[in-house]
Amino acid sequence: MSQCIVVTSGKGGVGKTTTSANLAVALARMGQKVVCVDADIGLRNLDVVLGLENRIVYDLVNVIEGECRLKQALIKDKRLPNLSLLPAAQTRDKNAVTPDDMKRLVEDMKRDFDWVIIDCPAGIEQGFKNSIAGADRAIVVTTPEVSAIRDADRIVGLIEAHELPEPELILNRYRPGMVHRGDMMSKDDILEILAIPLIGLIPDHEDIITSTNRGMPVAFDDESAVGAAYRRIARRLMGEQIAVPDFTDNASFWNVFKRWMGIKGAQEVIG
Amino acid sequence: MNDLIRRLLGRPAGKSGNDAKQRLKVLLVHDEIDLPPAKMEMMKAEILQVVARYVTIDEDAVTFRLHKDDNRGVALVSNLPVRRVAARA
Repeated sequence: MSQCIVVTSGKGGVGKTTTSANLAVALARMGQKVVCVDADIGLRNLDVVLGLENRIVYDLVNVIEGECRLKQALIKDKRLPNLSLLPAAQTRDKNAVTPDDMKRLVEDMKRDFDWVIIDCPAGIEQGFKNSIAGADRAIVVTTPEVSAIRDADRIVGLIEAHELPEPELILNRYRPGMVHRGDMMSKDDILEILAIPLIGLIPDHEDIITSTNRGMPVAFDDESAVGAAYRRIARRLMGEQIAVPDFTDNASFWNVFKRWMGIKGAQEVIG
Repeated sequence: MNDLIRRLLGRPAGKSGNDAKQRLKVLLVHDEIDLPPAKMEMMKAEILQVVARYVTIDEDAVTFRLHKDDNRGVALVSNLPVRRVAARA
């Protein structure tokens, strides 16, 4: 049974596109047929994060307006043949698409793919309404900041008002060291406030920046602990029960010291 | 190193995470009932004016806050300590 997931946040810049790209790659690497849809019409970016920007011919609006067939607009990732991208239009605006258009499009894609992942634009206007229209399930991305969590709380309310099931949370850009010394809200603080289940915790890490620079999502990288964190989220999406470590212990003085001394067994464990 | 010096000389570290959580809680309650903090201050001033017509309250000890209850939603919780009953007009 195919599923459509919308990745949303309310606030911009918290990592929706990076999350969408990495979950798509991680699921495709598990052998799933995945299509990733950039719903941010007018400000497309998912193509760049996936490293597919040079291959765009047609886009989502072309498909909806009947100027091309869906198959012509889909870009197949050569590194991962069961991953495709449907890019957003760059020169149109969000009003070129309606929620009913998106519903039909998602239904079409669900016939050919196991997973449809929709990268939702920031905000709560038309682009958000379009993005959630065809979704079966929502993931809310937030960072440990007051502004991002405030917006996430608003989005959770809107998702529930649209009769989608309770969304799941990805806590992004987490810094265990700062949490340990009390200068960042902890995972538990944030879960207490948002009161939705946590499906993943992604630490703030340079690997995200370097992989985005190259257009090669970190979920491709078997050496990266952040890549592994995304791959664990994909397994949770597939229904596996894997605990989300909060790794505050990891940031304790003693563990940092042991790592510094190069003592094995104190390696970073990342959610 | 700069960080260390700043921490030795400047503000104590290890407090801002809790500040964030408390600010966020207040913010979310105000968002939920669509009553921004400044408007609540106006309401508070008006309520105090009305109450002051009947009793003298200890204004320094007055508390006004929105409390979010898991079951019953948002409540306005206020404590208005009375100093003495006002003289009859």
